Amino acid sequence: MEKMNEKIQNIAKELLENKEVNLIIGFTKGSNPLRMRSVFITDPKDVSKLSFNSHCVQDLAVFLKKPEVKKFGKIGIVVKGCDEKAVNTLIQEYQLSRDNIKIIGLECHGVIKQNLADKGENSLNQSTVYDKCLSCEVHTPALYDYLVESDEQAFEINDNSIKPYAKIEELDLMTAEERNGFWQNEFEKCIKCYACRQVCPLCYCTRCIVEKNTPQWIETNIEETGNAQWNMIRAYHLSGRCIGCGECERACPVNIPLMLINEKMARDTFEKFGYKSGIDINAKPVFGTFDINDFNDFIK
Amino acid sequence: MENNNTEKNQNFSDNSNNGITAQNKEPRIIAFVCNWCTYNGADLAGTSRMKYADNVRVIKLPCTGRIDPLFVIEAFKKGAKGVLVSGCHPGDCHYTSGNYHSRRKYTAFRDLLNYLGVDISRVEFSWISASEGNKWVSVINDFTNKIKSLPNNSDIFSKK
Repeated sequence: MEKMNEKIQNIAKELLENKEVNLIIGFTKGSNPLRMRSVFITDPKDVSKLSFNSHCVQDLAVFLKKPEVKKFGKIGIVVKGCDEKAVNTLIQEYQLSRDNIKIIGLECHGVIKQNLADKGENSLNQSTVYDKCLSCEVHTPALYDYLVESDEQAFEINDNSIKPYAKIEELDLMTAEERNGFWQNEFEKCIKCYACRQVCPLCYCTRCIVEKNTPQWIETNIEETGNAQWNMIRAYHLSGRCIGCGECERACPVNIPLMLINEKMARDTFEKFGYKSGIDINAKPVFGTFDINDFNDFIK
Repeated sequence: MENNNTEKNQNFSDNSNNGITAQNKEPRIIAFVCNWCTYNGADLAGTSRMKYADNVRVIKLPCTGRIDPLFVIEAFKKGAKGVLVSGCHPGDCHYTSGNYHSRRKYTAFRDLLNYLGVDISRVEFSWISASEGNKWVSVINDFTNKIKSLPNNSDIFSKK
């Protein structure tokens, strides 16, 4: 990992010294060795703080939507493949200009689940990584200005019984009533803290639908109907856009399996419209366009 | 027609507070229709003195593209048993492409509803043009019968 850190630091230093960017967003060591945190660097002298390892779970692209960060103008960002898809989607949706961003892409073989890391887990293997890493198609980011290759070996997939998001297939086989029961139990836990929204790189509306109160579309108190409505509408607003970084699920204090919904919607949009989010910055967002021959079977 | 419509909407929201979901009550169906095709189709059915199920309450919007899926959820939350979304046939949209966009949206939305355990037969979509009064009548009648035949299940959006 030392080599990788050195490379990241050199790139960042060069970018800052040549004034190509005014700010570098990257990872640095956190309060304990198995926790990483984000760091914002404006001075080339500070680049030695930059670091990367398989505990870098955060999606740093979330900061690109913040006005405090936007005011720096040209920004350099250190991203894993999955996070880079968020950058792509932001460019696609005109939230970010390609000219204003320098992408330092990292080759990443997976990140270790934070809840396991907190218990001391430090090995990268099939059962310790997030589900998104098992089905990852972007170990090398789709778009980058600089690529930092990993000096670690990819873990081997030897146990075929571990499937990413296996619960989705299970839910698909249930009856509507059983599914209803399952989600009712999950949404019941929701405390409406909106952590899922805050941590999402694609939830960039300055005024979220839940904050609009004339009329009040979504009830803000914590009760079944409002909870279901909130979680449902967030999933809907992200369908065809969610890049599957899994941050909402990680940030959720009550562990609602939000990625089961997001992943399902991603699969659906691929199945119905052949669209995968965050791959191509020149593609039109799937719900911003249409095809005359779209799926029509459900309409009378 | 205009006044009539608002009055009906008023009724809908008033009744919802008194628990129209009770089994003995007739199921309430909300139809979100577009201004240019389906609304005129329904109007034609009315002016032609055709009879259809009176469970339906019509809410007129400019275009199917304006019908946010949130409206559907809101209707369920307020106690509606069924929701119909109806607009111009493909190619007929007054705003050129509103119905194409909404078709895409609703394809995804239906899948999401289904995945979250809402009985998908409670939401219906149709293309009804201004000249299809007959089709409006048959769509409403069929849908009402279908809703009546469904068991009185709850969904995640309605209060227990």
